[in-house]
Amino acid sequence: MTKRRELIIPAVVIGIVLIVVAVVYFASTAASLPSFFPGHVGAGSAEAAHHHTKHGIAALAVGLLCLVFAWFQTGSTSRTRAAG
Amino acid sequence: MHDPISLFQGIVLGLLQGVAEPFPVSSLGHGVILPSLLGWNIHQNDPFFLTFLVATHLATAIVLLVFFFKDWVRIVRGLGRSLRDREIAPDDSDARLGWLVVVGTIPAGIIGVLLQDPLRKLFASSASAAAFLILNGILLLVFERWRRRSPGVADEYRSDSDAHIARTVTWRQATAIGFAQAGGLIPGISRSGMTMGGGLLAGLSNEDAARFGFLLATPIIGAAALLKVPELFGHAGDHGVRTAALAGAIAAAFTTVLAVKFLLRWFETNRLTPFGIYCIAAGIFCTVVFAL
Repeated sequence: MTKRRELIIPAVVIGIVLIVVAVVYFASTAASLPSFFPGHVGAGSAEAAHHHTKHGIAALAVGLLCLVFAWFQTGSTSRTRAAG
Repeated sequence: MHDPISLFQGIVLGLLQGVAEPFPVSSLGHGVILPSLLGWNIHQNDPFFLTFLVATHLATAIVLLVFFFKDWVRIVRGLGRSLRDREIAPDDSDARLGWLVVVGTIPAGIIGVLLQDPLRKLFASSASAAAFLILNGILLLVFERWRRRSPGVADEYRSDSDAHIARTVTWRQATAIGFAQAGGLIPGISRSGMTMGGGLLAGLSNEDAARFGFLLATPIIGAAALLKVPELFGHAGDHGVRTAALAGAIAAAFTTVLAVKFLLRWFETNRLTPFGIYCIAAGIFCTVVFAL
């Protein structure tokens, strides 16, 4: 499997950002989410007190996948190990 | 007080869910159309019906997990090995298959989270479900026609479906199949039909495409159902819904076992064509009935 080490830092950054986004979703109600977040509603909405847990789980899953991707790029390839 | 869903209705809908979920014919579409055809006052956006669906879907996911349990153990071990070694070894088909399932699940999960409710509200009518059932049938026939043009399975992989899936499906194709799975959010479009079709387009045989589809189904159906389990024990589960849901779940589990066993045998030698023809015929029939 080809390793692309130049993608490690972007993948880690995106992964951490998405995990932070997940925490925001878990901790905030729909009304108190930043307005550019999917699921944000106005304070007068019937869903204002709703927590978008599923959005948080999705962000967490993708964030973890980004970190896993970065983790894979840090390893040596089978061919490198065999040669060593 | 009158129960919103009777025990009899729960069992019938559970039996239907168990068959229609693994079959490429849209369980959601059938769940919308059948009550309309029979004149039952059940609508897919009713909170109690959503609660009922949670129970039947959970039962389906548990059956799929148990049915492929040995495969899941191998796959999870493969995932662990790849994480430990920080790479997917070229000969580790279990690890690669596991990550293909992960990659194929993420797009469907994200789209499901963002669009499930709007899509259900937009396409809530039985007439639209019938129309999408026709589209689903046409897509199945197109997938099947496309498969016949693709090269067959190499002899070295004939005895090992998982190795063939792992070596044939690329990361991009797994992502595309993940997006195609999300089509199942529309009543009338089959999630399993889209994954099987995606597998065929990726170069899998019918048998391997069905197997990959079942593996992809387990996490997405199970996660969607688990997230809604609290509703089963909330107000929406009152007034006899929990009893009907339990009966429906048992019925769904029973027919899911039969349906998966049947399909795995069916696709050893047969094709998607009969399911495509069924969807088109049933969709046209229901469209005419609803228009009268």
